[in-house]
Amino acid sequence: MTGKERILAMVAGEPVDHLPLMPITMMFAADTIGVPYRRYVTDHRVLAEAQMAVAETYGFDYVSVISDPAREASDLGATIEWFENQPPAIVESTALLAEKDRLRGLRLPVVETSPRMRDRVEGVALLAAQAGASRMVEGWVEGPCAMAADLRGLNTLMLDFFDDEAFVFDLFEYAVAMEIAFAHEQVRAGATLIGIGDAAASLIGPRLYMKFVLPYEKRLIAAIREMGVLVRLHICGNTRKILSGMGQTGAEIIDLDFLASLAEGRAAMGDGQVLLGNIDPVRALRDGTPESVTAAFATCHREAGRRYIVGAGCEVTRGTPVENVKAMAQFACSRN
Amino acid sequence: MADLETLRQAIIDGDAKTAGAVAREAVAAEMDALTVIQQYMVPAMDEVGRRYECEEFFVPELLLSARAMKAALEPIRPLLAASGAKPAGKVVIGTVKGDLHDIGKNLVASLLEGGGFEVIDLGADVSPQKFIDAVQSTGANIVALSALLTVTMPSIKMTIEALKAAGVRDKVKVMVGGAPLTQQFADQVGADAYSENATAAVTAARRLVAAG
Repeated sequence: MTGKERILAMVAGEPVDHLPLMPITMMFAADTIGVPYRRYVTDHRVLAEAQMAVAETYGFDYVSVISDPAREASDLGATIEWFENQPPAIVESTALLAEKDRLRGLRLPVVETSPRMRDRVEGVALLAAQAGASRMVEGWVEGPCAMAADLRGLNTLMLDFFDDEAFVFDLFEYAVAMEIAFAHEQVRAGATLIGIGDAAASLIGPRLYMKFVLPYEKRLIAAIREMGVLVRLHICGNTRKILSGMGQTGAEIIDLDFLASLAEGRAAMGDGQVLLGNIDPVRALRDGTPESVTAAFATCHREAGRRYIVGAGCEVTRGTPVENVKAMAQFACSRN
Repeated sequence: MADLETLRQAIIDGDAKTAGAVAREAVAAEMDALTVIQQYMVPAMDEVGRRYECEEFFVPELLLSARAMKAALEPIRPLLAASGAKPAGKVVIGTVKGDLHDIGKNLVASLLEGGGFEVIDLGADVSPQKFIDAVQSTGANIVALSALLTVTMPSIKMTIEALKAAGVRDKVKVMVGGAPLTQQFADQVGADAYSENATAAVTAARRLVAAG
C-alpha cells in the first residue's frame, strides 16, 4: 500500500498492511535539511523540500504544510515577532482586535493577495506535485478558538467568554468563514487532507467548549468534508474534559495530545473514531530510548485499538534523536 | 459594614465589580487590611486554585477570579503598605527571552498574588538583564521563569547564568515552569524549584520562602 492508500483505508475501516504514520514535524523537518526555521515558514519551496526529506527518510505516510499559527493573522495585519530559528509569534500586547469594534471593519483576506497564506497554498501545490500520488498531502488551518485568540489575544479572549458572548460568536463566525475559504484554496491546490489546529480550545473546559467552540468546529469540518477531503483535528494541551465533544466534530482523524490518554479518547468517542497519537513528544520521544519509544507506542496501540494512526502527542521536537524517530516508524511498520 | 463573606464569594465567582465594591466598603469601615486579605481573599484564591487543579475551573474562570482579586486589592493595597505588613514573599516573574507565550505565566502570577505574594510581572519575552534589574530594584526573594517552547528553554538557562554573573543568584530562589519543562531540566539548569502547574507553583513558592 502507498501511504495515501494506507491512511484512506484506515479511515474507511478497511484492512491496512501496517499502521499509518503521521507525526507532526516542523522544526525537526527544517533541521533535517539544515535550514533555519525562518526560511521554512517563509519559503514554501524550503518547507516542501524538508517535508519530502522527513517523509522519505522515515517513511511518513503524509506530508504537511503546518508551520506556525501566524499566517492568517499576519496577512490580516497583526503584529508578528520574527525569530531566526523558531516559529514567528503573534504579539498579544498589540493584538489586531485589541479594540473589539475593529472586527466590524475587518474584511476576509483574499488568499491570492495575502503573502503568507498564498505561500502555504503554493506549498500544498508543490507537495501535491511531488508526493500526491503516494502520500496524503495535508493542508492546515486554524480552528475557530485558536484563530479568535490569534486576533483578539489569548488572555483577552478567555475573559470575553464571560464579558461579551455576542462578540465571541461574531469573532468565531469570522474565523470560520476565513478558514473555510483558506481550506478551499488548499484543496484546490491539491490537499487531500486538511489539518485543523485549535490549541486554545483545551484551555476553556467542557461548558464553554460545547457552547462556543464545538458548533463552529463542526461547521468548519462539515464544510471541509464537503470539499471531498479528510479532516484531522489537533487540539494541543489537556483535552480530557472535552474528548466527547471532539468526537462529535465530524473529523475523520482525532489527533490527541499526550495529556489525554488514548484509552480515555476511545472511551469518549467510541470504536469508530480514528485516533492519532500520542506519546509525550519531550519526555517520551525526545528524551526516551528506541526501546522506551517502542514500548510507549505499544501502550498507545493497545489503548486505541484497531482504528489507530501512529504519531507523537504534538510536534516532534527539535533535537529528537533520529533513532527514536526511526523506532516510532518501525513500530508503525510492525503493526496492523 | 462590609460583608467579607460576599467578598470571598465574589472572588471565587470572578465578580470583579462586587469584589471591588466590598473591598472599598471594608476600607471605608477601617477594617484591618491584613485580616481582610489573609482571612478572606487568600482563602478565596486558594479555593479557585483547588477548583482549577481538580478541573472544575478552567483558564477563563481562573483569570476571571484573578481579575476580581485585583479589583479588591486595589483599594486595600495602600492600607497594607501603610500598616507595614509584609507580603508572603516578593516574586519577579516573566516568560523568558524569545518566548511570547504568557498565559501560563499569567496564571502563576495570579495565583501567587492571590496567595499573598507581591508579584512583579515583567511580561513576556523578557531579557536576562531585565530580570537582573528587577531583582536589584525590588529586592525580590524569588525569580520565576516560564517557557512554553522547547526552543526557548535554553533562555531559562541563560537567564540563570546571567543572574549568577551579575552576582544576584545567591540572593534569590529560582523557580521554573512551562509545558515542556521537567524536573530533570530544572536540576540541570540549577533551579531551586520546578512546578508542573500553577497551583503547584504557589506551594513551591511558599516552600522556598519557608526554607529561607
